[in-house]
Formats: sequence, structure tokens, C-alpha cells
Amino acid sequence: MSHLLRAFPAFLRVSIQAMLQYRGEILLWCMWGIVNPTVLYVMWSAATRGAPDGKIAGLDQNGFAVYYFFLLIVGHLTAAWDVYNMSYLVRKGQLSPLLLRPILPMWESLSSNLAYKITTLMFAAPMWLVFILITQPSFQTQWWQAGLGMIALLLGAALNYMLCYTVALVAFWTTKLDAVGEIYFGLGMLLGGRMAPVDALPPYLQIASEFLPFKWMFAFPVEVLAGMRDDVHAVTRGLLIQAAWVMLVVLVFRISWHLAVKRYSAVSG
Amino acid sequence: MAQIEVEHLGKTFKVPEREAGLVASIGSLFRRKYRDVRAVDDINFTVEAGEIVGFLGPNGAGKTTTLKMLSGLLHPTAGEARVLGHTPWKREADYLRRISMLMGQRSQLQWDLPAVDSFYMHGAVYDIPKADYQQTLDELVELLAIGPVLKKQVRTLSLGERMKCEICASLLHRPAVLFLDEPTIGVDVEMQARIRSFIGQYNRKHGATIILTSHYMADVTALCKRIIVIDQGQLLFDGSLPALSEKMAPFKVIKIDLDAKCDDYPFAEIGEVISCDDRKVELKVPKAEAAAATAKLLTDLSVLDLTIEDPPIEDVIKQVFGGRAQRDDAETTETAGASA
Repeated sequence: MSHLLRAFPAFLRVSIQAMLQYRGEILLWCMWGIVNPTVLYVMWSAATRGAPDGKIAGLDQNGFAVYYFFLLIVGHLTAAWDVYNMSYLVRKGQLSPLLLRPILPMWESLSSNLAYKITTLMFAAPMWLVFILITQPSFQTQWWQAGLGMIALLLGAALNYMLCYTVALVAFWTTKLDAVGEIYFGLGMLLGGRMAPVDALPPYLQIASEFLPFKWMFAFPVEVLAGMRDDVHAVTRGLLIQAAWVMLVVLVFRISWHLAVKRYSAVSG
Repeated sequence: MAQIEVEHLGKTFKVPEREAGLVASIGSLFRRKYRDVRAVDDINFTVEAGEIVGFLGPNGAGKTTTLKMLSGLLHPTAGEARVLGHTPWKREADYLRRISMLMGQRSQLQWDLPAVDSFYMHGAVYDIPKADYQQTLDELVELLAIGPVLKKQVRTLSLGERMKCEICASLLHRPAVLFLDEPTIGVDVEMQARIRSFIGQYNRKHGATIILTSHYMADVTALCKRIIVIDQGQLLFDGSLPALSEKMAPFKVIKIDLDAKCDDYPFAEIGEVISCDDRKVELKVPKAEAAAATAKLLTDLSVLDLTIEDPPIEDVIKQVFGGRAQRDDAETTETAGASA
């Protein structure tokens, strides 16, 4: 563990340095992150104007502005992309040097993930402010919701990162993983409340979202931070469900990693 | 004491196979055919502490697969191996901290950053005490003469410079066992010589055990007293370089300096003429006939000097693998004939 405490900050430092080499790319990734929620906000905001009471799934125009503002933040801070990266590393044989190190390759990948989030904040934060200036949302969030929302956000980020990395291990069997990545992100968009708030989904999808992890990665932290969940017991229950998901995925990862490394055939070198 | 022990080690890959063309591609969607390829087939050897062993074989012989199993990257399908008392494919952190594998075609450096940043990260990953790290780095930087390139982005380095930085990263934690897979591939002759000299120095100074694969025979002859030859996954030879010539080369090279030109002398009747340049002649003669051929040359000609040598190791290896290729061709023709 002490070894990890020394190695991880070194990974993080080097990953941040590597990210800072490409300022243009950081800016473009931030824009990519803001475009999707903004478009969806515009769409739902317009839809509320046609609704009989000006509300859809309990949210009016301001409700959608608040929801999508927090989705901007949650989406950015919970992002994970190993399902694409791993496929590349396995296919190009670039995983071999990482597997020769006396430390799990996941830790370096996690440091890159954090480095991305840290370095992009300087561009992303001003964009979030611009979103507020344009949509002028009125926030109803109470202090306890903000506090528990932060914890929900951390658990959501941990869950998405670990699940994405675990799913990425399929690359050890299939080598190419692009389609799996698309399915994963598609499910995250639909059942994670990114395309629409979960309450706006058809009932059978709402039930599915309860039992799958995607809602607990994105929609739940957004709803708590946006002040949409005012029952402290329900929020606590949600946090426990998130923690259970994280533990389950870590367990599945440990078993899968063992099998994946055994399976590894060091493609192309 | 043996640091590497390999017993009946084998690795069989299941490789998908199909005919060329669109119809075969569509067919493979529904019914996929696989073929078992024995990359490594029942090999045995041991390597003592401090030895440098050259691992030779043509492309696809199983050299890299063997090194990958010994470094813990691949699980074998048969046999056992112990390196430094560990089973490599258990991938224990204590084991990985004591070995290094340098793959000439794979980079462990951060592409967008100066090499010194990768070294720093390496120091933390291998948990090298700070004082040791700085001392080893200084020593390696001096020996490899990479001081001027340390602060340049890795992607802007020449292949030779990058390879030296890769070697530096591989040795920072002072591995006791080093697997070098084509460490001089693609670099120019001068750089090859420098890298070679450095590997020799490292071995002498730290007593590291080294297994080296290389397509450049100069690497092998300069560094390795012992050679293991592997072909089609099987171990063909394990011994010294002279013993390899003795066993694998069925001929000797006779070099003669003549007193006068002898253009009309029938050298071809004695052996294969390798070169005939003015008054210097080189002949390749079957080993059993070398003595008789020498006596005949000394009787027939006015000879100033005559030497009988083993053929160059490159020629021996060429002969071993060339012979295999010819056998393969003959078998293929035979099979094709039988099928027809």
C-alpha cells in the first residue's frame, strides 16, 4: 500500500504533464462535454413550453436548466473511457510493458483519468459559468443535499470508472471492443438520465434503471445535487446502493483481471 | 546456482484460420476454424547466475514467446519454469521488481514527455529509494551517454537515442535478470556497438543474468559465451559458440595465400570456392575431407600461408535455418504432389 501511495502521485504528476502538452485538445474535449447536455437542455426546455402545465416529469424550464447544469458537472467528473483505450492497448501490444511493472496497470489509467479531469477544469469551469449566465437557473439545493450530493458524485465516478475498466477487460478475449463501448455509452445515456431525466422514461425503463448501475453513476448524483430528492432516508439508501455497486464491481474486476491476464496472448508483440 | 530453470515448457496458441476472399469471410462469421500452433514445444534449459545466453532462431521460432513466459506476460500451456525462485506467470510484485524485459519494438517511455519524467515515474513504480535512484540514474546516464537527450521529448528522439533511454528505464531498478528481445533492432552499426558494450559492462558490474535475442550475430558473438538455438518451438542446440560450429556446420573454411597466381588450378574440385582474389583463395570443404584437401593443396601449390577455420557463425546459423527452410519446401512439395 505504501508503494502505491508513492507510485500513484508520480503517475498523476506525469499524466498531468502529458495532458498539458496538448492545450488545444483539452479545449476540444471540454467543448465535446458541454455540447451534448446543452443540446438536450434546449430540446427539453422547448418541450416544456408545449406541455399542459409547463412541466415534463415534474420539471419545468428552470428545473431542466438546473438538472442539465449539474449533469454538465457530473458528466465531466464521472467520465471514463477505458473501454476504448484497453482495446487499443491490447490490439497494438502496448499492454505488455504495463504488465511487466509490479503494479496494476489500472492505477496508471486512473491517474490519466484524474489528470484529464483536473487539467480540463480550467476550461470546463468557465463554460459551466456561461451555461448559468445563459439559462439563469434558480437553485433550490439545500446544504445537506449539496454535501450528500458530493458523496454521491464521488461514488458515481468510482462506479463508472471501475465498471468501464472491468467491461474493458473483454478486450482480452475479443481484441476489438468498439461495439461494446458504444453499447456501454448508449446504456449510460438512456438509463443514466443523460438523454432525459429517469422520471421522464417509460415505466419499464425506469424499473430497468433501478436495477442497473447507470442511474447510480449519473442520474442519482444529479438529482441529489439539483435538490430533486428531499427525503434524506431515500438519499442515504441511494448512497448505500451506490456503495454496494462499487463493491460488487471491484469484486468482479478482481476475478476478471485474474482470468484476463491468464488469457492474454500479447498480441503483436 | 541456476537462476532460470525451464522444464518441458510449452505454449500452444489457438489461431483462427480462413481462406482468402469475401465468401470465406462471410463463412467465418458462422463457422470459425482454428488451428493449434505450437510456438514453444517442450524445451528445457537452465541459466546460471551472471550468465549471458544468446537465444537464436529464425522469425517465428518461439524465442519471444519463451521470453514472454519467463517474464510472466504469458501463461504456458505445458511445463514449468522458475526464475529467481518464482513462477513467472504468477506475476508476484516481488518477482516483477527483480526482472526487466526490454522489447526493441515496444516503448515503456511516455511519448509526449522528456525521458527524465518517465525515469522519475519508473523510480516510484519500482519503489526505488531516492538516493539509490539518483545514483543509478547518474551512472546509467553517464554510461549510456544520454545526458544531452534527457530533457528532449521522447517522440523527437532518434531511434538509437530512444533505445538507449529504454535501456536506462529498464535498468533503473537494477534487475537481477534481464530479458533483452532485439535490443539493437533498427539502430545503426555504431549505436549497436555502444549498446552491446554497455550490456556487457552492466553484466560484469552487477552480475546480472541476461537472455538476449537478436538477429544481429555481432550482438551474440560479442556478448554470449553460450547459445541456445530454437526452431519451430524446439530446442536444437544448447552450448558454446565453437561447439555450435562444431555440431551444426559440417564444413571448414580453408584460406590460402599463394606465392603466385594459379587461375587454372581446379579449386572447385577440392571444395566450394568462396572467393578467389588474386593470390588469396577461400574454400569451403566438408569437415571429413579438410585434412586431405589441405595436404593436396600444399603438395600441388606454392603456399605462403594456410589456415583452417570454422565458418563464421552467421554462415552456420544460415546453414541451420536454410536447411530447415529447404526441408520445409521439400515437404510442402511432397504433400502437394501427394494431394494432386
